[in-house]
Amino acid sequence: MEQKFEGTPKSEIRMDGHKLVRTEVSNDWGSLLRWVITQNGKEVNVHNARPMLNYEPKLSTKGSHEAVLQMWKYVDYKKDAQGEFTNSKFVEVSNKIAFTV
Amino acid sequence: MLNIGKERVPLCEGPSRRSFLQLGTTGMATLSLPTLFKLEALGAVKNSDAKIRNCITIFLVGSPGQLDTWDMKPDAPAEVRGKFKPVQTNVNGIQICEHFPMMSKMMDKVALIRSLHHRTGATHENGQRWMMTGHDFNADSVKPHLGSVISRVFGQKGELPCNIVLPGPIGNTGAGPLHGQTSGYLGSAHEPFFLNSDPANKDFKVGDLEVAQGQGNNRLDARKQLLTQLDDIQRRTESRSTQMHDSAYDRAFRLLTSPKAKQAFDLNQENEKLRDRYGRNTFGQSCLMARRMVENGVRFVTVNHFDTVFNLSCWDMHADGGGLNNTYLDYERLLCPQFDIAFTALLEDLQQRGMLEETVVAVLSEFGRTPRINPKGGRDHYPNAWTNFLAGGNIRGGQVIGSTDKIGSRPNDFPVEPPQILASIYHAMGINLDTTMMPGPGDRPVRLVEAEPIRQLFS
Repeated sequence: MEQKFEGTPKSEIRMDGHKLVRTEVSNDWGSLLRWVITQNGKEVNVHNARPMLNYEPKLSTKGSHEAVLQMWKYVDYKKDAQGEFTNSKFVEVSNKIAFTV
Repeated sequence: MLNIGKERVPLCEGPSRRSFLQLGTTGMATLSLPTLFKLEALGAVKNSDAKIRNCITIFLVGSPGQLDTWDMKPDAPAEVRGKFKPVQTNVNGIQICEHFPMMSKMMDKVALIRSLHHRTGATHENGQRWMMTGHDFNADSVKPHLGSVISRVFGQKGELPCNIVLPGPIGNTGAGPLHGQTSGYLGSAHEPFFLNSDPANKDFKVGDLEVAQGQGNNRLDARKQLLTQLDDIQRRTESRSTQMHDSAYDRAFRLLTSPKAKQAFDLNQENEKLRDRYGRNTFGQSCLMARRMVENGVRFVTVNHFDTVFNLSCWDMHADGGGLNNTYLDYERLLCPQFDIAFTALLEDLQQRGMLEETVVAVLSEFGRTPRINPKGGRDHYPNAWTNFLAGGNIRGGQVIGSTDKIGSRPNDFPVEPPQILASIYHAMGINLDTTMMPGPGDRPVRLVEAEPIRQLFS
């Protein structure tokens, strides 16, 4: 029996000083939840968001950044020759916020 | 007089196991064995008279690797220690995998047993039989699931069955149909009730509890009549000792007509946030359902995390590139988080409702995985060493029983075999293994399990 996942996960994020803060995730699928911080569309920091509701990223890149929460969306376990999933993927489950370092 | 836990229960007037042994075969011939079994079956325990606990068993089908989860060896060579890092838990000196961040904050409630091993074979089914019955066996000598044993000893408490498996039975895991999740010689009266429905489905319903639209009382009465006829056949074909409880058909009919049963299975009665906390997936919602079952009088609930190991993301991390292609990515992105969330939600929820002290939570699996990572980046079956754990009831959390060597390849200290885990679960549930027996094949009285509880587990 494949696992079923109910609903669409949703969380709100905001900045509080230097910290990223998230709400509890509604319709939480229970898979990996992570902070993803990008600069000019390129990932510069990825961090497990499960342990706490806030996260203070240590960024070596200066300037404008964008943060979002992503959750692993399991569709099936198929993988390509490199071992990466082909159909399952990370999806965004929060609003995006911009901040400057 | 029967001892259950610390209490002497004045329901069983038959002799104890010791007195059976003292009497010997001559004495046995004069014993009223049917009376003993009947009294045990009809009321081994009165809730008001004894400290009896419930049990929720989470069975991790496929089996996590000990080195990637709860027995990490960060100082071992790279091809042994794997890709994950250990993190400190809230108990000094106990570390577990970084992908169980929530469990790491609740380690004071958990007793890890790191020296489990068995010796009969490396198939999933060998391990399932060991961990669910305390024996390995073949088709000629099927042993009862521990939930069936609990059903035989304690009986049904209310309208719900004593022994429930969620969301369904283990199916194909590669080497035949003997998974240890049947009642064996205890008979159909003690078969687990399999939910066979996915509680994570939005329109989840337990099929057997739904009366089809337009099906009135006459149809129900007719069905009852049919069940009674089937029941008669069953009674004629099964041995006397299996008939002490109501038949499986009676139980099914009671379930069909019981509003309380229907209510118990209704997850929509739960707070949405709590449902989120368990994880909106099959496993998480099954764990929540397990709590509801115990709350409504079910003694023993098994949650199978997966029913097969083929062609889906599960713990069986061979990385074979084919039908068994689970890898570290499956552990990191799906399996560890899913388990971490559901298991800790269950402990928290039980505690907040004042149910943790009366509910033993056991996390079991079939075996460990090979210490050395295979050429494709996975780990294969390895029954020589693995970690399972217990919490709740009178289990003393925040401790580790046993250890393995430097590469997690064999027990180094305090080796533990599966029957000791079952004995510990029975003991934790309040059963005195010295004085409680059950009818074995041919109605011969047998011990519930041929092992002693691990005393260090208990407060």
